[in-house]
Amino acid sequence: MVACGSSDQPIVIGLAGPFSEPSGQSMQLAAQLAVAEINQQGGIGGRQIELAVRDDSGSVGVAVRVARYFYDSLDVAAVVGHMGSEATLAAARVYNGGDNPLVSISPSASNPYVSDAGPYTFQVCPDDDVHGAQLADWAYRQLGARRVAVLYENDADGRGLRASFSQSFTELGGRVVSEDPFSPALPGFEPYLTRIRLRGGADALLLAGTLYGAQRLLTTLNSLQYNQTILGGDGIDGIEAFDVGAEGIYISLGYLPDQPGPRNDAFKSAYQEMYGGRLPDHRGAGAYDIVYLLSRIIERVGTNRSRIRDYLAGVGTEAEPFDGVTGSIAFDSAGNVVDRSVVIGVVRNSQIVSAEIQ
Amino acid sequence: MTPLAALNTLRTRIVLGEAALVAGLMVVAVIGIGALRTVRSTVTRELEALTAVSAQSNTLVTTLFEQMRAAEQYLADGSLEAVNAFRTGGETAHAYQRRLQALPGLAESDRVVISQIQSLQAEAEVLFSYAHAQRDLGRRADALAGAELARAQASEMLRLLSLASASQGARAEATARSLEHAATDRELLVWTVLVASVLVAAAIAVATLRSVERPMARLAAAARRFGDGDLRPVALGDMPAELAELGDAMYRLGGALRTLVSEVVQESERMATAAEDLSAISEQLAATAGDVSTAMEEVSSGAQKQVAGLAESSNAAQTLYEAALDAGRASRRVGELGGEIHRLAETYSTDIGAASTALVELRNLVQHTAQQVEELDKLSEPINEFIDLIKQISSQTNLLALNAAIEAARAGEQGVGFSVVAEEVRQLADTSAQAAEKVSGTIKTIRDQVAAMGETMAFGRAQARGVGSVSRGAAEALRQIVGAVAEIEKESQRVAGQAQRNLSEIEHIKLALLSASDAAQTHASSSEEVAAAAQQQGASTQEMAAQATTLHRAADHLRSLVRGFRS
Repeated sequence: MVACGSSDQPIVIGLAGPFSEPSGQSMQLAAQLAVAEINQQGGIGGRQIELAVRDDSGSVGVAVRVARYFYDSLDVAAVVGHMGSEATLAAARVYNGGDNPLVSISPSASNPYVSDAGPYTFQVCPDDDVHGAQLADWAYRQLGARRVAVLYENDADGRGLRASFSQSFTELGGRVVSEDPFSPALPGFEPYLTRIRLRGGADALLLAGTLYGAQRLLTTLNSLQYNQTILGGDGIDGIEAFDVGAEGIYISLGYLPDQPGPRNDAFKSAYQEMYGGRLPDHRGAGAYDIVYLLSRIIERVGTNRSRIRDYLAGVGTEAEPFDGVTGSIAFDSAGNVVDRSVVIGVVRNSQIVSAEIQ
Repeated sequence: MTPLAALNTLRTRIVLGEAALVAGLMVVAVIGIGALRTVRSTVTRELEALTAVSAQSNTLVTTLFEQMRAAEQYLADGSLEAVNAFRTGGETAHAYQRRLQALPGLAESDRVVISQIQSLQAEAEVLFSYAHAQRDLGRRADALAGAELARAQASEMLRLLSLASASQGARAEATARSLEHAATDRELLVWTVLVASVLVAAAIAVATLRSVERPMARLAAAARRFGDGDLRPVALGDMPAELAELGDAMYRLGGALRTLVSEVVQESERMATAAEDLSAISEQLAATAGDVSTAMEEVSSGAQKQVAGLAESSNAAQTLYEAALDAGRASRRVGELGGEIHRLAETYSTDIGAASTALVELRNLVQHTAQQVEELDKLSEPINEFIDLIKQISSQTNLLALNAAIEAARAGEQGVGFSVVAEEVRQLADTSAQAAEKVSGTIKTIRDQVAAMGETMAFGRAQARGVGSVSRGAAEALRQIVGAVAEIEKESQRVAGQAQRNLSEIEHIKLALLSASDAAQTHASSSEEVAAAAQQQGASTQEMAAQATTLHRAADHLRSLVRGFRS
């Protein structure tokens, strides 16, 4: 069964995410880099990898359609994706159903419910509980904040981070002064910000949302000339590249381009060389690791979907943990990724650097 | 026993038939139970899924209505209670949506609708929160405008909710229909397997009955043929092992009977030939004895004539002269008579010798026949053993039939046909036993006949011994006659010689004549003795002939008895 299909047929791996949006670009580029590297070294057992790229726009409806397409394409061995928790959760219903379920590994869906969505759904990033706790600790201890206002994207990722941060921050003794939802449909942030100010202000703002939401919020803050300490989840990774006054924003991340290690150095330089000096984000690094992880599994067990799943679930228990650019990837017996630490980065000179090495 | 041979026994066939039926019924039972379980578990699963989905949906609908109501209420009165209800309602709704999505019995289209409802709810929440913020800032017009946007999302969401409920109903109906189809299919399958297994069991039962009935008919025909005395080999053909054993026993019985009958036929033929020989010799002997008797009578009359002649000579001695003249004549006459007697005696001596030889032959023959009869008697022993064998077989068969009848009774309705067969087997055993008795009777008759013949033979042998002594006595008498006659001749010659010369010798002649007269009387009495002995011999010979006839008749009877068997 290992030698499934003829050797001149490429091995197909699906890639799904909002690639037309800035947040999804690094994920696609890094995945393509990994595929190019593997194919250049002879592919998997002599077979080339073909990446089937489908843009889901981060929308639930499109994500379900893309998932259905991958699921029904029997030559698709596994899927790298989706990017956000909302899309990943919706697509998981498709991937885990029926007679021929399909593995999907998300590089960045951080909602804790993702790993419970089904036996074929995995995430390699730290979940919101880890991010929320880390951000709350940073705000309370490092920044000395006692009053924090939370602005959250009204989706799975935003609500997840809001919940874990509010709980951790309250437990530390701080006070969450407000929790206001937003979405692309929100007419503007001004009423929320004005109300926070009228009600005594806040030492810091937590921005639990997407890159687009962050852009809008920062623009509003700039226009209102509010100088506010801002913390964000990994959803706003990439904000440093926009001229929206992102300097000094703290972001919790599972991966930082400047984190040490030879694997990361090689990846970063290859990425920069291939994409004109741009740096990968945590989504790209995760996707890069996932492509290499899948190629290693397919080399062992072939393209059979259930065998890929069984081997993948055993990484860290029955098989060696995978040593990737984001660190060591391993799963516990429940399929949850373990030992994924979070670092706090800060935007300095339009780059995210480790806040701890300041 | 090879599997193929095992298949050829009644036991295996009956077991196979029963097993096929039981297996078929078990398959039916398993399918039936499986179908019931499947239907039941499917019904349970589907109902649980439907119940869970509709319960979650109902709660979700209620929660969403409650949240939207709280949002509107906060816009109106700005109460803390309303804003808390709005927030709690939102969190509860998200939880219910997540649980709804996690339910396994949800169609993909339903999931898409729920996702859309979720999105719309999220939008409505955001827009109501925005409107609330505007209201908190005292911007009533902006708040109302924002609420208007929120209401558009909310009403779209409620429209989708009603659509989802309708699809739930349709889905329940479809589930019921598919369950009904599944149940019908299973029912059809159960009926098919049931009918098929009954057919297979019936086919095996019919095949088994046939495999018993046909060989049984052939065995019965073979037994009837044996009973009618037709002992030729029977081709019984293929049959189940138990019946084949019976067939083999019958075949061996036929062979043994055939050998026996052919030996009896041979012996009776030989006996008949011996009786015929005996009869012929008896007749010859009788004829010879008659001849002896006749000759003896002639000897006797010759001697009487001699006595008369001598008396005449004595009277004539008175008148010697003329008598002397006659004496020469008389002496010559006496010489002639003596020669005749001598000749006759010689002749009969030879005849008696021949008769004696014939009698010895007869005795030997009788002894030989007696030996054969004894052998015949011995030969009947194995027949008794065969009869025992037949009786054994019939009692075993009887037992087998009884067992079969019990098995048939145990099998109930299925065994009715076989119980008839068992009864036939039992009847066949009885017929075999009766045939054995019949053969036993026949053999006893033969043995009685053989014993009678043995007695006859013993008597014949004793008689043959008597004949020997009589013939020896006759030979002795003849020898004495010959001796006397020789003296007569000598004396008569001397008389004839002296009569011419000496009258004085008349006294001497008288004395000689008297002596001659005494001898003649002795001769006469000896002759009578011989005649009596010859007559007695003749009677013995006749008796022997009668015995030979009896023997011949016995042989004939024996022959006709065994001729009844066709071997």
